[in-house]
Amino acid sequence: MNQSSSDNKLDQDEISQVIIAARQAKKPQMILDLIPYSSFIGTQAKVEKEAVIYWLERRSSNIGNPSLPAIHGGVIGGFLELSAAIEILYVLDVNAVPKVVDFSLDYLRPGRYKTIYANCTVLRQGKKLVNVSATAWQDDPATPIATARCHFLLP
Amino acid sequence: MGFDLKLAIFKPALKFAMERSGHGAALGFKLTRVGRGEVEMTFPYKEEVIGNPITGVVHGGVIVSLLDTCCGCAAITVLERRAITPTMDLRLDYMHPAEPNKPIYVSAKVYRNTTNVIFCRGSAWQEDEDNPIAHCVATFMKVDAEGMRFSDILRRRLNRLFNSNKKSSAEKLEEAK
Repeated sequence: MNQSSSDNKLDQDEISQVIIAARQAKKPQMILDLIPYSSFIGTQAKVEKEAVIYWLERRSSNIGNPSLPAIHGGVIGGFLELSAAIEILYVLDVNAVPKVVDFSLDYLRPGRYKTIYANCTVLRQGKKLVNVSATAWQDDPATPIATARCHFLLP
Repeated sequence: MGFDLKLAIFKPALKFAMERSGHGAALGFKLTRVGRGEVEMTFPYKEEVIGNPITGVVHGGVIVSLLDTCCGCAAITVLERRAITPTMDLRLDYMHPAEPNKPIYVSAKVYRNTTNVIFCRGSAWQEDEDNPIAHCVATFMKVDAEGMRFSDILRRRLNRLFNSNKKSSAEKLEEAK
């Protein structure tokens, strides 16, 4: 489960095995642990009421504006893009990392220096393309700080 | 009004703010060019930010961060009054995956600067600028700020709130008298 950053080269079979095991164990965190970027920004995930909830605990390396302080907009974007990809791997029957084609992000409120939560919804799954929407919030899901919409190409 | 002089003073401050703190320092990118409405950056390859463990390609989120920072910096350089520029939206198209172990170059340009909104576009490439790995458009809001630092604004706002409360209670006292 713990991958060190030096031996990050894995093959497709190992990845598929982890993804299938994660679905069976209901632990999306196992998929996140495969991806070095997720630990770089500190993404975590768990299953709550049949849905996956993703969160990003506050850490100083994610600050964008030190005088506010506010979370970097790019980190919020990266976090939502990562969550959307994990949602595809966990919810759909896809065992290889999907390719992101486009990503559209609307910033609604500033990301304060505290935990960010997110949930994702697969809006459409085609043979080749998947459309996922992701919403991030801090205090209350009814007051989102950002929403994202992304298209992924299935491998 | 000698804007170039302002930009000359502003450039090291911007470089310092972006490269030495928070997420910029964690990613380790460098601002290579800061001009009015045009900013360029370089990001060296890093293993910590890999998104695909099979190929070793950096995660798309890194490109989001780079382009958001680059466009944001370009937006700040065209401000003609003291303001802060929060991002309204950012749209990215990934043309092809980045190659591992190679630096990523990012450039951003402001193509329209209006009273309230700044329109910006940017691209990220590795070997050939005409064959980018990603392209983005971003819009920024201009929010007036008397002092550049938000802490100043916040302090002023709190003072104002506090003083107005004081005044109103003083007025109430006078009324009671």
